[in-house]
Amino acid sequence: MEVSENTSSSQNTGVVKHKKRFPVEVFLYISPITILLVVFVFAPLAIILYFSFLKTGLFGEIVYEFSLENFKEMFSGGTRQVFLTSFYLGVQTNIACLLLGYPIAYFIARYGGKWKIFLISLIIIPSWVAYLIRLYAFKTIAGTNGIINTFLMDWGIIDEPIKMLYTSGVVMVGLVYTWLPFMILPLHASLEGLEPCLLEAATDLGAHPIRRFFRITLPLSRGGVIAGSILVFIPTMGDWLVPALLGGSKVMMIGNLVAHQFTVAGNIPAGSSLAVMLAATLILILYLAIKWGGKEAMENIV
Amino acid sequence: MKNIKRKKIAPKVLFIISALVIFFQWAPALVIILFSFSSNKLGVAWDGFTLKWYGELFTNSEVKDALIRSTVIALITVVVSTLIGTITAYGLFKLHFKGKEFIRTSSLIPIVMPEVVTAAALLVFFTRFVHIPLGYPSIIISHIVFSTPLAVFVILGRMQRIDWAWEEAAMDLGANRYRTFIRVTGPQLMPAIAAAAVMVFPWSFDDFVITYFVSGIGSTTLPIYVYSQMRFGATPVINTIGTLFVVVTIAALVISRMIERRT
Repeated sequence: MEVSENTSSSQNTGVVKHKKRFPVEVFLYISPITILLVVFVFAPLAIILYFSFLKTGLFGEIVYEFSLENFKEMFSGGTRQVFLTSFYLGVQTNIACLLLGYPIAYFIARYGGKWKIFLISLIIIPSWVAYLIRLYAFKTIAGTNGIINTFLMDWGIIDEPIKMLYTSGVVMVGLVYTWLPFMILPLHASLEGLEPCLLEAATDLGAHPIRRFFRITLPLSRGGVIAGSILVFIPTMGDWLVPALLGGSKVMMIGNLVAHQFTVAGNIPAGSSLAVMLAATLILILYLAIKWGGKEAMENIV
Repeated sequence: MKNIKRKKIAPKVLFIISALVIFFQWAPALVIILFSFSSNKLGVAWDGFTLKWYGELFTNSEVKDALIRSTVIALITVVVSTLIGTITAYGLFKLHFKGKEFIRTSSLIPIVMPEVVTAAALLVFFTRFVHIPLGYPSIIISHIVFSTPLAVFVILGRMQRIDWAWEEAAMDLGANRYRTFIRVTGPQLMPAIAAAAVMVFPWSFDDFVITYFVSGIGSTTLPIYVYSQMRFGATPVINTIGTLFVVVTIAALVISRMIERRT
């Protein structure tokens, strides 16, 4: 292989292309991850898929025969309502994250200058802190004796504490708080690639800033919007801690039901079918999003 | 005229929104640090400075056990995940083979899948299929499962920025693949590997959901201890543990950034 003139270009120069590639070498490098994925990711998922078609007997034992009972139950009454709540909260959170995330991603990409990395770090760092702890803090702030209520009462704006916890509003704010960074990062990545000269050209040609945004900026950042939506919607709809801590028993999401079946009720078939249904719904949404958004979305994720 | 005026206003409005969003992201973490020094008995308001909750933290044997358990789990996870992550990233970056894209995409599953699904799948797998005892073994395996993809993608990302001409030069000069890796590529990749290792630590140390499902009885990690305490309402000790999490995570991210910067 020839050494290219441009020593820093890595993509092609780095990849060794011998005519014969020892499959042994591929095997050596790839087998650890393959074993990990097959044994501890695919097999467990296949097993809950299997368990989701079993049912629980009278004494809580697992009856090993094919049954659709769990899935039938899912489409009736309570569980269906929980599914719908999760879906609505997912959609609402997603829209809120887009509306909040877009301005900040745009600001950093366009006006960040030498502060860019610092600003991005400011967004990434808190999102890495254990989200159990962050939600606990969130709860402390929004609680009856929390900072917000104390502050408002001290200033005489309200007479008695507002009850914020255990409402779907606070669950949504909590979801936005938790997952917003996952919207900002891909949006920023796609806006970063936007050529400023395109915007200048549009302005020179007399386009109004609003028109310029909808005709140029937004369409060109479509990949980022879709990638961000995928990264926010999936964990949001499948969230458990946010509704468990902020929603209590008032606002239930599918995550709560899954956690309840596994950690409290110990009903493996019912829990498995809920988890399978959740995963299936999200995979379907992911598939549609990628089909609609194409490759541009994936580029902003990986 | 109108356009010119708008141009000046837009960055300011965007700046204010950005500042508010960043504040919104940081406020809870800062509040928890602040209240860990507050003498308020519930830890939900500022009643004056004290260090007594930290004193309580260090004398509480349950907290100490949980802290040691979490640290041991995170360290083992760091070693195994980084090792597999390095090997995999190298294979994915350097070799061409069938199914490469499949492995890349599949590696995203543990990161993208909602935690409750992964957690449920692993729990059923451990208890109903392979009979791995719940506790250290199940927790460590689970942590390796969701941490390895992180290591793979961190290292893979850094590999794109490395000057691979050095490796070629070494091989052109007659060094074999093994020697090239030990003498040239390995040292070049070291910062990336170290950065990934430092990032995996809080990723494992902070995990609650998956650990909670697969830990069984008695294997209380620090986040599980916090959760069990939360049921009794707010306590100041949670604030001190929370501060520990915030500090450990921020330190890890900053160190990982510094390791990378050095090259």
